[in-house]
Amino acid sequence: MKINEVPQDDVPDYSEGIKKGNYALDDKGKYVMVPSKGWVIDEMINRMAYDEYREKEEETRQAVLAGKKSPLAYYMELRQMTPEILGKTAGIAAFRVKRHLRPEIFAKLKPSVLEAYVKALAITSEELQTVPQNPRER
Amino acid sequence: MTTELITQETLANGRTYIHRTSAHCETGVTTALFRDKGLDISEPMIFGIGSGIFFGHLPFIKQTGLPISTFRSIPGLVFKKAAQRLGVKVFRERFRSPQKGMDELRRVIRTGQIVAVTTNIYWLSFFPRRYRFNFSGHNFVVLYENENGFRISDPALLEYTTDCSAFDMERARFARGPMEPRGLMYYPISVNPNPDIRKACITGMTDSCKQMLGIPIPLFGVKGMRYVAKKILIWPEKLGYVEACRQLAHILRLQEEMGTGGAGFRYIFAAFLQEAGELFGSKELNELSNEMTAIGDVWREFAVVSSRIIKNRKSKSEETFEKAGGLMLICAGREEELFKNLRDVIGKLKT
Repeated sequence: MKINEVPQDDVPDYSEGIKKGNYALDDKGKYVMVPSKGWVIDEMINRMAYDEYREKEEETRQAVLAGKKSPLAYYMELRQMTPEILGKTAGIAAFRVKRHLRPEIFAKLKPSVLEAYVKALAITSEELQTVPQNPRER
Repeated sequence: MTTELITQETLANGRTYIHRTSAHCETGVTTALFRDKGLDISEPMIFGIGSGIFFGHLPFIKQTGLPISTFRSIPGLVFKKAAQRLGVKVFRERFRSPQKGMDELRRVIRTGQIVAVTTNIYWLSFFPRRYRFNFSGHNFVVLYENENGFRISDPALLEYTTDCSAFDMERARFARGPMEPRGLMYYPISVNPNPDIRKACITGMTDSCKQMLGIPIPLFGVKGMRYVAKKILIWPEKLGYVEACRQLAHILRLQEEMGTGGAGFRYIFAAFLQEAGELFGSKELNELSNEMTAIGDVWREFAVVSSRIIKNRKSKSEETFEKAGGLMLICAGREEELFKNLRDVIGKLKT
């Protein structure tokens, strides 16, 4: 790749002005580091992965509002966690976390357990009781 | 986010630290740490000496539910190997207790020693939001404490230094899940001021050849590339078109998006071969560098073709999975040839 082949695409929403280093050849055939503004291909594949999380998160939010899942499920998705990761973070066995994703079991949780989740998810206790009424912006 | 772009910082003991941008986080951090100790070696050199180039398919480690195809060696290994081969004594430790890990970090930076930490990107709020995935394996350098928490230098991502809150730092360093960093922090204690760079290069290149050609498991090195290429060919039938696109996009993310200097570290390795060629005065190494660049261009083409497939995943595109897989097979064949040639060239080099 030559310097003029380093992609310099405008993808401000993705890169937020941050440049990435690429190695490319200058006129004399010597390698130099060239900052790249962005590449549409990077942007596209990043968006695919990003949207996938967002869709899962939104689906879970709807399910919580419909009473099918506990708010814990939503915040777990929000933090890109699985029951295993959340369990390790909160110090609660994964099989128990999975049970707590059911609203009827979540409703009966002890304050100490809720406190562990609040800390693990970095949210407030009030937040953990409910989910936002509207989809999260971006 | 800071608006003024600062690239020069004064450390706790009054020394000056200069921030430089790099292509990849671990090599960039290693370069910065060594330079701080007076050992000025370029990023591609560190990458080559630390034998960073690799290919591996890891179906048993999942990231966002998808198997990882990695283009470099295990995180942390480049620093370890480069330090060993250049005669650098290092401190490298993980912590069981976050409290102890944070105390130790604070204690060390107070002495003016800069420290590299391994972190989980999700918890770093100075990152652009779309970069923030649950991935534990990002490295940056901590410079000193300030009123916002810590002043840090992230060579791979930013062109300037920035702040990281103490909360972010602790969560990111002690995030749980796959590849837990467990508060890993590392820094050189002392460096050898006149290391035998030629010998280090030869060790690094020999090791790279072994990694690419000699691992008797079909998931690693050139064999791994063939394995993945053949998988790509059958994905559309086996997984369905949309899911196949999802998997292909995941390969591209690891190849291009995650700070690799382009073409999954192939260009940075070509830069290393070029620099080594100058160091040894070896024409052969220079020719191998040109070949590595050409292979990098094929990887780039693979990325472009794959992206066209993915882009038109709803209405099947003119580009096919056969073409993408075929390009990867070409890469595998040419890299096999290149590393075999490199092995022969190393034998002729003088230390």
